[in-house]
Amino acid sequence: MAGFLVKRILQAVFVVLVVTLLVAWAIRLSGDPAIMLTQGAGSFTEQDLQNIRKALGLDQPFTVQYLQFITGVVTGDFGKSFFGGTSVGSLIAHALPLTLLLALTSLALAVAMSIPLGIHAAVNRGKAADTGIRILSLVGLSFPNFWLAIMMVLTFSITLGWLPPSGAEEPANIVMPALTMGVILTATNVRLVRTSMLETLSAQYIMVARSKGLKERVVLYKHALRNCAIPLITYIGLQFGGLIGGIVVIERVFNWPGMGSLAFDAVAARDYPVLQGVITVLALLIVAANLLVDIVYGLVDPRIRTE
Amino acid sequence: MQNLGRNLRAMLLAATAMAAPALAPAAFAAGTLTVTLVQDPGSWDPIDTFLVNWAKVGNNVFDGLVQRGPDMKLAPGLATSWEQSEDGKRIRFKLRENVKFHNGEPFDAEAVRFTFERLLGAEGAKGPQQSNYNAIDKVEVVDATTVDFLLKNPDPVLITKLAGYGGMIVPPKYIQEKGDEYFNTHPVGTGPFKVVDYQPKVSVTLEPFAEHWGGKPKLDKVVFRFIAEPSTQVAELQAGRVDIVTDPLPISAIPIVNSDPRLKVESITGPTVQALRFNTRTGITKDETVRKALIMAVDRDAIIKQMLGGQAKPIASFQSELSFGYDPALKPLPFDPAKAKQLLAQAGVKPGAAVQIDFRGSDANFREAAQAVAGYLQAVGIKSILKPYETNVILNEIIPAGKTGEMFQQGWGGWTFDYDNTAYLMYHSGEKWNPYDNIPELNALLESQRSMTDRSKREKVLQEIGRVVADKALEMPLYNLNAVYGVSKRVKNFVAPPDSRLRLTDVTVD
Amino acid sequence: MSTVEIEAPGTVRIWLRRLRSLEFILGAVLTVAMIGLVLASGLIFPDGGDAMDLTARLTPPFQSWAHPLGTDPLGRDVLARVVVGGKISLTVGFLSVLGAVVVGTVMGLVAGYYRGVWDMILMRFADVQLALPFILLAITFTAILGADLWNLILFMIIAQWVQYARVMRASVLSLRDREFIQSARSFGVRDLRILLHHILPNAYGPVLILMTLNVANNILLESSLTFLGLGVDPMIPSWGGMLADGRSYLQTAWWVSVFPGLAIMLTVLGLNLLGDWLRDFLDPTSKA
Repeated sequence: MAGFLVKRILQAVFVVLVVTLLVAWAIRLSGDPAIMLTQGAGSFTEQDLQNIRKALGLDQPFTVQYLQFITGVVTGDFGKSFFGGTSVGSLIAHALPLTLLLALTSLALAVAMSIPLGIHAAVNRGKAADTGIRILSLVGLSFPNFWLAIMMVLTFSITLGWLPPSGAEEPANIVMPALTMGVILTATNVRLVRTSMLETLSAQYIMVARSKGLKERVVLYKHALRNCAIPLITYIGLQFGGLIGGIVVIERVFNWPGMGSLAFDAVAARDYPVLQGVITVLALLIVAANLLVDIVYGLVDPRIRTE
Repeated sequence: MQNLGRNLRAMLLAATAMAAPALAPAAFAAGTLTVTLVQDPGSWDPIDTFLVNWAKVGNNVFDGLVQRGPDMKLAPGLATSWEQSEDGKRIRFKLRENVKFHNGEPFDAEAVRFTFERLLGAEGAKGPQQSNYNAIDKVEVVDATTVDFLLKNPDPVLITKLAGYGGMIVPPKYIQEKGDEYFNTHPVGTGPFKVVDYQPKVSVTLEPFAEHWGGKPKLDKVVFRFIAEPSTQVAELQAGRVDIVTDPLPISAIPIVNSDPRLKVESITGPTVQALRFNTRTGITKDETVRKALIMAVDRDAIIKQMLGGQAKPIASFQSELSFGYDPALKPLPFDPAKAKQLLAQAGVKPGAAVQIDFRGSDANFREAAQAVAGYLQAVGIKSILKPYETNVILNEIIPAGKTGEMFQQGWGGWTFDYDNTAYLMYHSGEKWNPYDNIPELNALLESQRSMTDRSKREKVLQEIGRVVADKALEMPLYNLNAVYGVSKRVKNFVAPPDSRLRLTDVTVD
Repeated sequence: MSTVEIEAPGTVRIWLRRLRSLEFILGAVLTVAMIGLVLASGLIFPDGGDAMDLTARLTPPFQSWAHPLGTDPLGRDVLARVVVGGKISLTVGFLSVLGAVVVGTVMGLVAGYYRGVWDMILMRFADVQLALPFILLAITFTAILGADLWNLILFMIIAQWVQYARVMRASVLSLRDREFIQSARSFGVRDLRILLHHILPNAYGPVLILMTLNVANNILLESSLTFLGLGVDPMIPSWGGMLADGRSYLQTAWWVSVFPGLAIMLTVLGLNLLGDWLRDFLDPTSKA
């Protein structure tokens, strides 16, 4: 186990390093922040631009800039935004909890909705309820997420006046963004629950449990569900990365000041330190989530360690 | 089945519980005004940015030596009077007395000298403001309430520039003690409002400064919220959680705001002009006749009336009617598709010839306008390829490097309302926004007016420049878009400023 | 990952039964109808939906035969643009998947069959890609290359080939030590031949499923990127572009974006239904 762990952690470190290198390199290809800083200015000369670049440390060779950034990451200092000099660390400290809150709420919502629906479909395999749930879940996958989001705003904020359209100041703010992402996640998870439930239900110990006269609810939710938890956990671990990526669009519609908004603005402004910081933190999170899944897996199923 | 029912019930209960706090209509704190901004400038230091979204806030926090309100007239600000020497190279300002910064620091001649030394020195070199004030050689303190601005060369627009942006006066002691970086996020000025809270990317909150020389503002609090997505801004306005959607309110939202009895549209002629500049080096637009034909092919009045809901005015030169140098006698080429076709045939352009139109993809209004232009060009047999670019890319790489298609968007909103500020950068050879043209006649005219102190003589030259540009058909002038605000009717005494620089001193809310 | 066995002959009845499923019928009808409509669009609307009439802008739907689904803010016919617009959406969807499949399959085959260094490189690639937030990558990518149709497709290929490579590799791993492969190798059959004739035909199933789902996904992705302002030439009608541009008119002229939205939904639904059915069909255990 220890060897497996060390190997996976080394791989994770390698992955994060490559990600940072890739991002640092790509954002520098995308354009010059000095120009962004002069936006709207009347006349400025190449000399003005060079002054700005020098002040930002962009006159240094790429390797020097990258090494500075990596040394910073190791010591926990992500540098400062080019726009106003706010520390990237404090920007992330504000945005990350919000993004995590949104991501975890949507995931919880998706799990809460998909387990009963998935089980219901599995129990009624082949019947109308099953087909209905399956097709409905596909319909849920067929909307662009921003479209669903805007429709929700029009319905719940403007027509009904129940929920605030945007922001992140009050608890009610999270309902619509979490619901939008939750619906889409539910659609995929229902199918997963249904499939693994079907496999479990035909297993012998379920038959035994039933024959012992246990209540159907106990059989389903206690015995059967426990068994299909592993594929579900794996899948959720993998979903986490996609979730974080997809959050950009949702955060924008609902003006949720999370990591997605931060990164989007940073690309548009060519704010290198912010983008590098955000992506690095997100990559660390995703890699950690996957590592955790691997470890849980390794504990549960020793065969995986040898692969 | 039972399980499902029970679970669904539980879920519904949970959902209602979450929604409950919002069910009550959003109640406003008395005297609080909420305003949207599309972007967080990141720094509130006047010399760090040149963004209109900075000015919407900064104009309330800082004062300049002079002031310019919604009527566009220059008025005394921190200086009560000023006089210019014969040669235009020295301006003497008499300063207002008993003025304090928000932190209690007194405002005096030393603060003026510090402000401009900082702007023109190493700190200013890191930002976009310095180059605008390069005409200033140095600022000399005469006594505590008198300063002299000594200029390298006369700058006819300098006094206007002192009313905003880089010309805003900052507190010397505060900056020296706390440092430039602290000042970025904790700005202090002499303005009618002081910044009490700044949450990057979320909001900035202002409260009135009781000791302001112009009197205490009437509002209790102003909250500026950063909302990037225009449709979300409009939704917030409709939901009653925002009082003012600042310029530009998307044109598509005008009917929505108009149909809501609690809201209204405030619209005023602004500085923003849009044109499609021609690539005069390559493609069919090399030929002046072709350029004129293309201009005549497009019904700009219909675009203004039908598409922009009348929220724009036709232009003949690249400036608004408020701009110094505007010539009411200059008329744009008429819409005449038949003549356009004839000119094209005469120039040997075959039907089906193509032009590429480069523009900023994020500009929703222009996105539609560009499609309309393409539609009209198609009607005279010219095929258009529309190429949306990210703002940064088109401004940074495409236009200055001369890598555009046959036509490209030039959008300009010079806040000084002086044609020189646009024309020089657009038409003088070697300038960033002028990658293709080198016309000696224009170069000479542009240079000559810069040293003129006689206003009427200078105005004549500026008008002449507009005429030469139109005559050579360097651009297809499109329109001058109004500054459009969406405002809740609970807001009183709000006068929409043409230049987006809000000053909220007299505003109240019900 | 399960493998695919070639169906034994004589199971026509099972075939028929599976074809009769609601999912298949609905999926096939939707997909064929949409593809058919898009292919025929040039014949139905020879002007490509470009005809503009500013005086007739934002005409509501169901009022005249000239514009049965109304007009957009430039007075162009919504029906024509929806039909023609499918071309871009489907091109993006199919070409991106096709490209990613080709690259991914080759890489997956090589990595799974030869293992060693190839395998290690591929798996680390996959890890890196998994750790990069997808949309953020797209935004940075278009910031560099500019937004256009081919860049969009190229980007999707770069972002997605690893998925296919992983799936392919897993299939190959489960096959390579099987007896029929071993014996082929012992007879001195060349590697290329083994890969193409023995492994590929037995490993395509999961890839096929992934393909249908990703075509659907990429159609949605095109619209999301347009929403973020990274779409293609607005003169070329595309569902994503119409949907994104029409969003500001939702309250005043719903038809501008609802109809392209409906087109996306039906197409994606059709493809998802087919993919779902295919999954059951190729992997009978999951149907149980």
